[in-house]
Amino acid sequence: MKEIQLKVNGEEVSIKSPPASTLLDVLRDELDLIGAKECCGKGECGSCSVEVDGEVVCSCLMLVGQTENTNITTVEGIGQVGGMDVMQQAFVDEGATQCGYCTPGIIVSAKAFINSIDHIPTDDEVKTALGGNLCRCTGYTKIIKAVQTAARRQLAAGGAPG
Amino acid sequence: MRVSEMDMYSPSTVEECLYFLHEEEKSSRLLAGGTDAVVRMKDGYFRPEIWINLKRLDELRFISEAENGIHIGPLTTHTDIVKSELLQEKADVLVGASREVGAVQLQNMGTLGGNLATASPAGDMIPALYVLDAKIEISSFHDKKVVPIHEFFTGPGRTVLKQDEMITNIIIQPQGENEIGIFEKLGPRKAQSISIVNVAINLKMGENPRECLSGKIAFGSVGPTIIRSKKCERMLTLGPLDETAIQNIAGAAWKEVMPISDVRGSAKYRRSMASALLERGLHRLMQRWDER
Ligand SMILES: Cc1cc2nc3c(=O)[nH]c(=O)nc-3n(C[C@H](O)[C@H](O)[C@H](O)COP(=O)(O)OP(=O)(O)OC[C@H]3O[C@@H](n4cnc5c(N)ncnc54)[C@H](O)[C@@H]3O)c2cc1C
Ligand code: FES
Ligand code: FES
Repeated sequence: MKEIQLKVNGEEVSIKSPPASTLLDVLRDELDLIGAKECCGKGECGSCSVEVDGEVVCSCLMLVGQTENTNITTVEGIGQVGGMDVMQQAFVDEGATQCGYCTPGIIVSAKAFINSIDHIPTDDEVKTALGGNLCRCTGYTKIIKAVQTAARRQLAAGGAPG
Repeated sequence: MRVSEMDMYSPSTVEECLYFLHEEEKSSRLLAGGTDAVVRMKDGYFRPEIWINLKRLDELRFISEAENGIHIGPLTTHTDIVKSELLQEKADVLVGASREVGAVQLQNMGTLGGNLATASPAGDMIPALYVLDAKIEISSFHDKKVVPIHEFFTGPGRTVLKQDEMITNIIIQPQGENEIGIFEKLGPRKAQSISIVNVAINLKMGENPRECLSGKIAFGSVGPTIIRSKKCERMLTLGPLDETAIQNIAGAAWKEVMPISDVRGSAKYRRSMASALLERGLHRLMQRWDER
């Protein structure tokens, strides 16, 4: 067990954990942030995606000891019911979620993606940006549409809020 | 060793890291992006008593040009490589390879040093480093040496690295103005897939249309380690690289590679794909050269 300081969704937290636990396990089991999900556990599906220091990573392959003093953003930090982010609202409006297992990871990846561009992305651009996120239900069409809708709304509202 | 019992050490300088590797008696293993190492930890293969976390070693994350070549720190991520203007201009084939690694998450996490040390026969960075004449700087607490890339690998998953050593620099030869390169890969699907066959090509072009002065071709995933296709390389300079010449060169690749059959493809399929990828790569390169 080690005492580890993390900054999660803007808040400083201190946890006690084996340093070789995955960030995903710590988020879910210690911090009750159950948005990020474990599916493959091997970096292939992206359902565990979170942002660490501004970059999207697979939290199932990151050991928590490596994330000490980094800035971590999970889907909960992007928006919550009552204060949803433009990306989350677009997923609701376009019906881009079914079972929902992949959705938190996709929201994290998609949000980071539209923040990094200043246009409405083409289908191919969205596919490349979300190449690491698998969805077994939707067939992706609505997901791509939702990302484009979110990008359009975000641009209309004056660009990336952050 | 259970995962819950493993310790982690996070050196803040390379010196500290090398001292630790030299002094520590407990079993340890270096950890960079973790995209290979953590998968192996979960599978039960990597069970060190201590993980040595390299992520704080900012001094090993650099891309810079020096007299003897472009220096790339082992902690440089695939995303760093893709974004580097210097590499886009003078090492297009390396940028092309990084762009083909996994998907965004894997490119953000995975490092060049980790890709080399894993030494997978399917590693995408390795053929690209071959055609750019890469040299690997290996450091230990008492010593530092530089080995050419073809001496770095000793077999599938094996390198010359010893327990107390680490990669501290990767030096490649920058492309000149008349050089162009490309990386081609065939995987089971577009994103996130391990190569069934891959090939890196770097050509030095002459004054006349499609005249090739010399070239290097390296195949991955079709032998125990990378295969430099010497015969195809010699054929590059026989005449202008028109479509017939390209087809002939690609045809010769069939005999140069030594693939195995595995879950991702049979040996026969791999041979055919090696030829097809080389043909596609040369074709695209020549189109780019014509249009420049
Ligand atoms: C889903 C998925 C898809 C992938 N797709 C691809 C792909 O398309 N192409 C491809 O080539 N690879 C792929 N990989 C493999 C992997 O992502 C890359 O090889 C990556 O570059 C490894 O870097 P890392 O920093 O994560 O290495 P780590 O996992 O941190 O380390 C790997 C090994 O290297 C050693 N090591 C790390 N740094 C050093 C150093 N400086 N000196 C000495 N030893 C060191 C470690 O001890 C360990 O043994 C994929 C992996 C996954 C999980
Ligand atoms: S659970 Fe992390 S990528 Fe699938
Ligand atoms: S909505 Fe079910 S996996 Fe994507």
